[in-house]
Amino acid sequence: MDFASNITAAALFQQVLVGLSRTTILFIVSSGLSLVLGVLRIPNVAHGSLYMIGAFLTYTIAAAVGPGAFGFWIALVLAPLGVALLSFAAERGLFCHLYEREHLMLLLFTFSMTLVFNDLVKLIWGSDYRSFTAPGFLQGSFDVFGLPFPRYNLFLLLIGPLVAFGLWFLTNRTKIGKIARAAAVDREMVGAVGINVSWIFAATFVIGCYLAGLGGALVAPTQNITQGMDHTIIIEAFLIVIIGGLGNIWGALLGALIFGLTDSLGILIWPQFAIVFPYVAVVIVLLFRPKGLLKSTW
Amino acid sequence: MLRIEALTKSFDGFMAVNNARLTVDQGEVVAVIGPNGAGKTTLFHLITGQLAPDSGSIRFQEKEIAAKAPHKICRMGIARSYQVVNLFSRLSVFENVQVAVLARRGKTFNLLRPSRTIAVDETNQILESVGLGGKADRVCGMLSHGEQKVLEIAIALGSRPEMLILDEPTAGMSPEETAQTLALMKRLVAEFELTILFCEHDMAMVFSIADRIMVMQQGQTLVEDTPEAVRSNLLVQEAYLGGGAAPC
Amino acid sequence: MIRALFSAKTLLVAALLLAALILAPQVLPRFYIYLMALVFVTGLLATSLNMVLGFGGMYQFHHAVFYGFGAYALTLLLTKAGMPPVFAYLLAPCCSAALGLLLGLITVRLTKLYFGMLQISLGSLVWALAYRWYSFTGGDDGIHGIPLPDVVYSSTGAYYFSLAVCSVSLLVMYLIVNSPFGRIFQGIRDNPERCRAVGVDVHRHQLAGQAIAAFFAGVAGTLFVTVEGSVFPELMFWTLSLELIIMCLLGGWFVFLGPMLGAAIIVVLRTFVGIYTEYWTLVLGVVLMLLIFFLPEGVLGFALRKAGPAQADPAKE
Repeated sequence: MDFASNITAAALFQQVLVGLSRTTILFIVSSGLSLVLGVLRIPNVAHGSLYMIGAFLTYTIAAAVGPGAFGFWIALVLAPLGVALLSFAAERGLFCHLYEREHLMLLLFTFSMTLVFNDLVKLIWGSDYRSFTAPGFLQGSFDVFGLPFPRYNLFLLLIGPLVAFGLWFLTNRTKIGKIARAAAVDREMVGAVGINVSWIFAATFVIGCYLAGLGGALVAPTQNITQGMDHTIIIEAFLIVIIGGLGNIWGALLGALIFGLTDSLGILIWPQFAIVFPYVAVVIVLLFRPKGLLKSTW
Repeated sequence: MLRIEALTKSFDGFMAVNNARLTVDQGEVVAVIGPNGAGKTTLFHLITGQLAPDSGSIRFQEKEIAAKAPHKICRMGIARSYQVVNLFSRLSVFENVQVAVLARRGKTFNLLRPSRTIAVDETNQILESVGLGGKADRVCGMLSHGEQKVLEIAIALGSRPEMLILDEPTAGMSPEETAQTLALMKRLVAEFELTILFCEHDMAMVFSIADRIMVMQQGQTLVEDTPEAVRSNLLVQEAYLGGGAAPC
Repeated sequence: MIRALFSAKTLLVAALLLAALILAPQVLPRFYIYLMALVFVTGLLATSLNMVLGFGGMYQFHHAVFYGFGAYALTLLLTKAGMPPVFAYLLAPCCSAALGLLLGLITVRLTKLYFGMLQISLGSLVWALAYRWYSFTGGDDGIHGIPLPDVVYSSTGAYYFSLAVCSVSLLVMYLIVNSPFGRIFQGIRDNPERCRAVGVDVHRHQLAGQAIAAFFAGVAGTLFVTVEGSVFPELMFWTLSLELIIMCLLGGWFVFLGPMLGAAIIVVLRTFVGIYTEYWTLVLGVVLMLLIFFLPEGVLGFALRKAGPAQADPAKE
């Protein structure tokens, strides 16, 4: 292990770009987790499974529509919606009856969803991994200081700000966003003025899960779609949400940035144990700000 | 014994306690009165360390205690009860008080002796003295509201404090229970030489036991004087007694 | 000490049960002996989790880390350090306790959910290290064929060893739960704010509780190595931790022996469901959903409530 021998300025820049596109995925997934945490005050353990389902659905839909750009775009739109639909059914059918219970019960219920979802994925898609490729104009790479940078990553870099803007618009400029933010602070108050809190929760939950599905759909062309891809992402999303501040979407952005960059730079420095670097960053952040970088909503 | 000066605490710009002052001497019974939202409970939270003040000083037995951790303040000799019943909900009445006694004796890291054999006499004595002796084995959630308020005081006594802070000790009690609690407070002062600082809305009760009274309004100390002087103080009548909401 | 805690009836039942368990290998086929040993290991683990979860009110979401860490510690002390087995068996749980202290120092300042989520995350780091460090931990394959002392090498030997260690550990944990420390711990569970107000240093107690629970999880880890003869990273995977919480919930987490019962049910169920289908997690997920909806106080908690509070006394606390 001769680390740090192959670091050049260009490689560094390339890794930063890779890290930033990784950040996009992380941000999309963890902002969904954070949204649910902020309003429902539960870490949705099933978030990772929904991400995985999003990826598998993207593969299936793209394969069904046929190769080419059209199938990809259709899949990118439909797969997250499918995930949202699934979460909506689970929320209205089962989850919403538990809102009066202790937090631990709610958390365990999301865990039971994880167990069920994961085996359903195994049942439907089997244990093999799947992979598919992005349409032609997103394939290949272009040069950055003489090193290749995948086009698809550039696409991700464009999507990230778009989603961030959408979330900002949703939470700050729409009625439901404002109500949800108020419900995060004081749900009794919101209930008292005659708003159906249960439906606010449902909407938040579904939007959060949609983001998990979107993350899964976007990540699908970049890696193998496998059983177990849920575990890594949920742990990462947990960490991001913790350092960002529970329930704070901009905290999730900040946390995803820290996580994505330390992770990709870590690969450059010490490939086998690159995973250590984001954790070290997390522990350092928490030593100074035990409640996360930005103000949590509760 | 307790000296508070220029104490200030604000929440998001709202001045809950604003430049308050208060002095309590050894053996005194001091009442804090004032309309709802005057900052009485915040003041008590500041004294016992649940909240840290923005500025000002709280000295207890000549030592600065502002912003110290609650458990340290308790070990220095200040125990408190809560306005809203705040018990160990799954423990029995006996165990509720025993927690406080064990904590005071510093036995909390004793791992292998059955706690049934430790501090039993002292805990039972406290329960007897507040009149809960017969209900020691009940789960505390099964007690009536009045009994729970008394248990609040019993837990505070388990810390064997020099100064007892009671946040509305008789709130929600029936007249008989109020009378009993009043008698209990008098006995605590007489027998254990406790210093008591309390707040209360029941004016009859306040005037029958307090040696001195502090009137709070909008977080500030309005008056701090003997009951007679307070009663005749016009300022108070304007702020409180005549302020529309008639005190009981 | 014992007399103060147990009634004559409880002692009699315990003695009879112990006698039956000691005689079991004479009667039952080997597979059942192995299964029972596995129940002891898992039950001990779930009980140690419940010390902090049910009695301490801490959201201990990643308890399996301490279990796996103890198992790896024993294995590495035996294979890499070549330590005499007696010392290795004593030292391994201490390693777990040390890890508990270390993680606790970072996590214990945080409240409930923050605590739990951070614990899951940090625990996952430990898992990831074991998973990738091929030269030291064997990576995702784990380590097999661990040289165990002859006494515990046979399946009956392992059975008796785990029965003995499990019984002693349960007794000690029961003493701790009923000690002043345990009383304060329950006070912290019910009302940390009030505990501070009566002079309890809540964080120090939670840290100590964490270390103690980690120690016993480590003990369970060493027993696992004894029974299975191997270690692998799944031992500290976070889903196992959540499964442990299910065991506590299933048995009833306000009852001392609840998690033991829950562990027995889950282990046996997994073994037999596994014969018919590979979709065990699906079954577990549905069981958990039913449990949350219909039996939130657990099997033992439900039974004790039905039996009435008077009879609930000896096993309760």
